[in-house]
Amino acid sequence: MTALARRKDGSPTGIVFNVQRYSLHDGEGIRTLVFLKGCTLRCRWCGNPESQRRKPEIARNVRRCLGIETCSYCTGVCTEGALRLPAAGAPAIDRNNCTACGACAAKCPALALHLYGTRRSASEVLDEVETDWPFYVRSGGGMTLSGGEPLAQEEFALALLREAKRRHIDAAVETCGLVPWETLAAAAELSGAIYFDIKAIDADRHIAWTGGNNRAILSNLERLADAFPRLAVTVRTPVIPGFNDDEAEIGAILSFLARLPSVSFELLPYHRLGSEKYRFLDRRDEMSDQALPTERFDALAAFAAERRRLTGRSSLNVHIAEKSSEIPAAPALLAEPGVAAGYIGALGGC
Amino acid sequence: MTPHDIADIQTLSSQEQRVLNRISGQTDRFRDSHARAFTILDGFEGTRPTIDVERALYFTQSFRQTEGQPLVLRWAKALHHIAENITVSIDDNQLLAGRIGKPGRYGILYPELDGDFLGQAVREMPHRIGAPFGISEQDARIVEAEIAPYWKGRTYHEALNMALPPDIHKFTYDAPEGLVSRFIVNETSSFRSSIQWVHDYEKVLKRGFGDIQREAQARLDALDPLSPRDEVEKKPFLEAVVLVSGAIILWAHRHAALARKLARNESDPRRRQELDDIAGICERVPEHPARTFHEAVQSQWFTQMFSRLEQKTGTIISNGRMDQYFYPYYRADIDAGGITDERVLELIECMWVGMAQFVDLYISPTGGAFNEGYAHWEAVTIGGQTREGRDATNELTYLFLKSKQEFPLHYPDLAARIHSRSPERFLREVAETIKEGSGFPKLINDEEVVPLYVSKGASFGEAYDYAVSGCAEARMPNRDTYTSGGAYINFAAALEMALFDGRMLKFGERRLGAATGDPRSFRSWEEMWNAYLTQQLLFCKTAFTQQYIVCGLRARHFAQPMGSALHDLCMEHCLDLHTPQIPGGINLGYFECIGFGTVVDSLAAIRKLVFEEQRVSMAELIEALRTDFAGQAPLRLLLRSAPCYGNNDPYADEIAREIDRAFLEYSRKYSRELGIHNDIRYVPFTSHVPFGKVVSATPNGRHAFTPLADGSSASHGADVNGPTAILLSNYATKNYGYRERAARLLNIKLTPKCVEGEAGTRKLANFIRTFCDLKLWHVQFNVVNRDTLLAAQREPDKYRNLIVRIAGYSAYFVDLSPDLQNDLIARTAHGSL
Repeated sequence: MTALARRKDGSPTGIVFNVQRYSLHDGEGIRTLVFLKGCTLRCRWCGNPESQRRKPEIARNVRRCLGIETCSYCTGVCTEGALRLPAAGAPAIDRNNCTACGACAAKCPALALHLYGTRRSASEVLDEVETDWPFYVRSGGGMTLSGGEPLAQEEFALALLREAKRRHIDAAVETCGLVPWETLAAAAELSGAIYFDIKAIDADRHIAWTGGNNRAILSNLERLADAFPRLAVTVRTPVIPGFNDDEAEIGAILSFLARLPSVSFELLPYHRLGSEKYRFLDRRDEMSDQALPTERFDALAAFAAERRRLTGRSSLNVHIAEKSSEIPAAPALLAEPGVAAGYIGALGGC
Repeated sequence: MTPHDIADIQTLSSQEQRVLNRISGQTDRFRDSHARAFTILDGFEGTRPTIDVERALYFTQSFRQTEGQPLVLRWAKALHHIAENITVSIDDNQLLAGRIGKPGRYGILYPELDGDFLGQAVREMPHRIGAPFGISEQDARIVEAEIAPYWKGRTYHEALNMALPPDIHKFTYDAPEGLVSRFIVNETSSFRSSIQWVHDYEKVLKRGFGDIQREAQARLDALDPLSPRDEVEKKPFLEAVVLVSGAIILWAHRHAALARKLARNESDPRRRQELDDIAGICERVPEHPARTFHEAVQSQWFTQMFSRLEQKTGTIISNGRMDQYFYPYYRADIDAGGITDERVLELIECMWVGMAQFVDLYISPTGGAFNEGYAHWEAVTIGGQTREGRDATNELTYLFLKSKQEFPLHYPDLAARIHSRSPERFLREVAETIKEGSGFPKLINDEEVVPLYVSKGASFGEAYDYAVSGCAEARMPNRDTYTSGGAYINFAAALEMALFDGRMLKFGERRLGAATGDPRSFRSWEEMWNAYLTQQLLFCKTAFTQQYIVCGLRARHFAQPMGSALHDLCMEHCLDLHTPQIPGGINLGYFECIGFGTVVDSLAAIRKLVFEEQRVSMAELIEALRTDFAGQAPLRLLLRSAPCYGNNDPYADEIAREIDRAFLEYSRKYSRELGIHNDIRYVPFTSHVPFGKVVSATPNGRHAFTPLADGSSASHGADVNGPTAILLSNYATKNYGYRERAARLLNIKLTPKCVEGEAGTRKLANFIRTFCDLKLWHVQFNVVNRDTLLAAQREPDKYRNLIVRIAGYSAYFVDLSPDLQNDLIARTAHGSL
């Protein structure tokens, strides 16, 4: 892990790829989501491909590009030779040479080139988050850290949480769970709520689809519930076709949760809203042709509700969530005319 | 499908669901519980209004007979003549008697105002885009032969047109006759006799016009017989009050007689009983105090209808604090077991459908363009505080909200007063009503209005008791004394003049504004800013000069004896409400700034890209504007990427605050010359569309002749940080240290998705609490999916009952011009995921 850069005032810095205000589905009240770059998993269905790598990346939206024959603002900007300018149409990015310095994105008037990820200090981020305090106090809202895996930038994430606490802003964290227990515990200490993803209980399938072992994840959840019995912990399971969209897998998750009485549970419907972002990054979306019929999701939701009821848990704990924390990784990049930020999203925590 | 479809189309507002149900042939689920109102609505919904000429005809007949007499007396005589002769009717199924025009939706004429347009209007109105009216050939001939000729050379509009000095006229009208607006500094006093108004209805309910008439008669009898002043000033006024009180009583009694006659011929015993009841009520009110809820509603209804006969009030007379003044009658009837909530809803909805058939008719093309979609602001105010500063919500408050949720009608406009101690139930039910999706209620903030009105001279009790009126204004029915419509300033035009040395591309080489120099020679942002400011101040001067003239002119053209009879100060001093200065009155006037977001974003782009970063040269910019960005797509996008108002971006917001401050400073200095408060307001009606049509491309990347930003809302699509940022930008750009501020209209469009369910209601209520904390004046919401609007554009027949929020009023989407429909679609929709 590279040494953490700090501002002159000592404030730790980290890579943030978006700050999204007026978020209503990721915790109590009206919230601001802060998206940290980098993830410890590589889920096949990831709705935030731009969140996975720690380093900044340049996104390229061909649909927005005016074409080099019309617009030449990006000509001669790249000092690394990574921006390949054709005779006509959109420039290409040589990903091997691109350092994601952002110079081309800064020049692009069409927002066809966009920099995912900038280095910001904790106090800078909180300055922005704090602007909405009049809404937090009325709605019980605050800041939610999302990603990527926000706790992967451990020191920065904790600095954000501490800075929020210092300013009396409620904080929540969305995590995939694959982080050192000490980090998770430190975050829990500073947070009012944790959203914790459990994707599957089947270990082999978990590795195959997410690139990560779930043993540490499950253990972290158990320890969290044990160590912080009064903390609002919500387990979220995204229903993924071909992976966990059957009663056996969801049932296994529910059996596991039955031992953790303080934890509530949400099922998240599957979607492919982030699909276009794979193209922006010149990556292939492995799940692009996959769909989950609504009836399948509804059946699983009903199944989960019934199981929770039978195990003596209030059915109210089963909440069929909205697409959680889905926000555009680059609002301007994606927004259609007349449609504000908010339609293509990053999936927080899964 | 776009992602938007995927993400949001599965969540529909109640209104969208209702429209779709109707398309698929299902019966409205509230139809049975609101059967009477639905049945009446079926009779006129979606029909084109017609012009009724009776009011204008009888008014004109009387005026021919009374030349030379005191104006207030002439007006009372004319109203008496109307009351004696106008057709009276009681509609099938109605529980309230009275309408003042033909069956179905109708509009009436006020030739004293702008009768010089009449000839043109009766031929053009049926074909107008946006808000057409029909007229029968016979009525068109009556207008041309019996009405219009008398008013030739006598109308207020003609007098104003002649009174404006050339330097003011050139910004106001396009040609010497003044028939076409220039849409630069627009006067609005010629398409309304009075700025929106609220009567003290409580006075009618408690005392009745019989008592008011007795008071006037007694004072008439007590006048000093030797006093010349009493003879010239007080006597005609008091005689007018006696006459006009008699007129409305007479008019009510004609309805009673009609009801008796209809009852005699009625075969259905239930309806016969209803008609007999109506007859009894009309014999009683508004002459005497109301005793029951039904009598109170009928008394109010007669009063507001007669007020519409009296004068054109811009834009339609408001209804005041209905949940307050009806409450004693409601309470008494409920306690006595004489009425149920269902019956109360039935009665008020009978009034709603009655109001919905009276359509304010703007015969001048400018008036039409300003008020598209049959604009109307007969605001019913609910909630707020008592005169003692306590919360005022009651059971009736909630019934009005329930009516809006269950009975889909865009009449009346509903305004909810919010304050820091509004009960949570009230906010939640307000939020639930907003979620219904047709734009009700609009919210007005006591925490901004009350202290501001106290600072302008009202007592706390008066300020706490304000009623919402018109688009976003607040009125104190016994303290306000100002009636003139104010100027509308197109300050995107000021920007254009600053960029073209006083010229506008639309008007060619003629220099209309100040010579502020060629901006290509400007070396600093300060030079640019000063050039802009010079043009802005010239516009201010134009607006205030117009108003100076308007204030002096109007009392010679208008009187309103009935409105004056209901006003404490007018009665005390025997002065008509149109008198420029009434002792003890507060003259709350305002002028309007249109294109705020457009100008702020444009100046921010110039400052940042031309002067600070020097990424664009002024020459390049000017050329791009001149050609409407032809071949300059990259430059246009670059300009659009500059900081914008509505994002809580301090860079843009600081410019906005300075613009606002310049207006306030001007108003502070020169209002006193007019003897009124002439405060700055950001409320567009629909004028941002016609104003946009004269302004060429702007440096924020806006294409030539497209709509300007509306009210204090962000430019189309510029607000990318969500609604919290919009509120904070609004807050950041207000200058709270000045009392010269007035209403700011703020539109927010939400997707149904983001207010879904119980959590959505709670978060919307919380959002409203913060709006209240921030001391913003007004906010209103459209909760609608973009796809619904697009579908309504494609298939207007299927969507003819889709209601949308425009600018302080709601209207049928299909009644709007394509320009305004597109404007609405282009407003940013805030979803949240």
